[in-house]
Order: sequence, then structure tokens, then C-alpha cells
Amino acid sequence: MIFREVEDRDLIAKAKRGEVEAYNLLVSRWERRVYSYLFRLVRHREDAMDLSQDVFLKAYQNLPKLDDPARFAAWLFRIAHNEAFSLLRRRRPETDLSEPGHVDRGPAMLPIELSLAVEGALHRLSEDQREAVLLKVYQGFKFEEMADVLGCPVSTVKSRLYTALDLLKATLAPALLPQEMRRGES
Amino acid sequence: MSCSNFDWNAYALGEMDAGARREAETHASACAACREELAATRLTLDALSVLHEVEPPRRIAFVSDKVFEPRWWTRVAETFLKPSFAGALVIALAILVHAFARPAVDQKQVEAIVARAVADTQDRYESQLKAVIADYEDIQKQNRLMYIQNTGLIRQ
Repeated sequence: MIFREVEDRDLIAKAKRGEVEAYNLLVSRWERRVYSYLFRLVRHREDAMDLSQDVFLKAYQNLPKLDDPARFAAWLFRIAHNEAFSLLRRRRPETDLSEPGHVDRGPAMLPIELSLAVEGALHRLSEDQREAVLLKVYQGFKFEEMADVLGCPVSTVKSRLYTALDLLKATLAPALLPQEMRRGES
Repeated sequence: MSCSNFDWNAYALGEMDAGARREAETHASACAACREELAATRLTLDALSVLHEVEPPRRIAFVSDKVFEPRWWTRVAETFLKPSFAGALVIALAILVHAFARPAVDQKQVEAIVARAVADTQDRYESQLKAVIADYEDIQKQNRLMYIQNTGLIRQ
């Protein structure tokens, strides 16, 4: 992770000097993480793909404004957050996001029942709560970095995340408890 | 310390410093309710970890790809905003404006200036010629005198 950060910093410096290939390499390194975050947030493959494209284009255009390359990840996800919520706001009147019928599931994963249960539980969260879980659990951001990404105080970040975790605990309990019981029996 | 002092979510999410972690662990070792709460949080986080990153259906277009190429009006605007181009443009405009805006030439005035210059040159030439002729005549006179004197000496 430290090596990656050092290399990212180097690539950012080169990209700022106009080295296009350095930026292309940054895109290859971050596209999966950004796409995953956007896909789980907007729940639509093509929308997530278009948003990812926009995120990297905006990041490229605004790279000279990034003062501290060490904050690249939070800065990039801040752009992704803005793009995603801009789409969600446009989409909201037509689409009821809580309907299970609109869920665009990712590739099948094992154990399949648990994966589906987790996806279902995540989709039952509000967008703000789901995003807090995505940034903390799947992207590994610290609370302060999340506050930067979301543009809100750390207390708000913790409140959204803890509420989401409580809801996930309650939703996933039926899927998790039998497993635990099976573990206990064996 | 009471159970409410411990943030088990922060503990499970790795957001506690080493000191606070040690305190929490000491408390949990003696408190079944907190152990249960921490276990439930960890179980949920473990369950969430079954979801992996999603592969994009196609790669993100690179900066060197067509999609990132600036549109024609952007390229034109950028060209006009370049300092070297802008400088050349200003100079060209200045030349153009000067060519059209300079005052019209007065032909009579030009002829008068030329005539005066010709007359000055002619006067200068004539005075120089007169001076040369005068010098020549002086030398001739001196030569004649010297000849007469020399001839007289020979006769004597």
C-alpha cells in the first residue's frame, strides 16, 4: 500500500507535467475501485461505466488543482461521489430505488446465498448510508477522509455508518445466524 | 468504566488508537454484553467482505483515446490563447492598422523637399569645383614664376 502510494504520487507529478501515459497508468490502477463504488451506489452497469468515464475525465482536467498528491484517493472519490449523487438526484423522480426489481446484480459469487443477502441488505439502505459503508468497508477510507469525500463533518459520517451497520446487522442476522449455529455444531 | 464508553464499531473498523484499543479489550474480557456486541459487528463486517470489487464491463478510455480529445472549438480557443500566437496576432494587427491609418502623403511637399535637396547638392558641388579650380590656378601661377626665375638665373 505504501509503495503504491509512492508510485501514485510519482504518477500524479508526471501527469501534472503533461505526461499522458502516467495518467493512463493511474486510470488503470483506480478504475476497478472507482467503478465498484459507483456500481454499488447507482446499481446500474452502464450508468456506473459512464460515471467512471466522467470521473476520470474530470480528475484529469482538475489534476493541476490537486495540491497534495497524498490525498489523491479521497479527492478522486469526492469527484465520484459528486457525479453519482448528481445522477441519483436526476433519476430519483422516475425510479423507486428501493424496488428489488431494479437491482442489477454483479457477477455471481460464492457462497451465493450470502452474497445475495449482503447485496439485498446493502440495497435496502439509504443512498447516504450505503455510500458510508462502501467508502469504509470496501474502500478502506478513514473517517476524516470520508468526511472529505462526502463534504460533511466526521460526526455525520459516523452517524450514517453506525446506523447502516445496525440496519445491516438486523437484516443479515437471519442469513448469518444459521451459519454460526452450523459452525457451532461442527 | 461503563459499557457506553466503548465504541465497538470504531474498534471493529480499526478507528481506535492503540491505547483506546487496549482499554476496550480489557473491558471486553470482563463484559459478556460488550463481547457479544463486538462479535455481532465483526460478523456483519465479515459478511460484507464476501462482496468483491466489480470488474468494469470495458476499460475506461485513456486520455490518449479519442474520447479525451478536445473538440475543435476548444482546440481553436486554446490556439488563440497561446502567448506566442497572441503576440504574433497583436503585431500583425498593429502593422495592418498602421498601414491603413497613417496620414496621406502630400506630393507637392515631397517635390519641394526633393528640389531643395537637389539644389543644395548642386550648390555644394559647384563651390567645391570652384575651390579646386582656384587651387589649380594658384599652382600654375607659382609654376610659371618659378620657371621665369630659373630661366633668368641660367641666362646670367
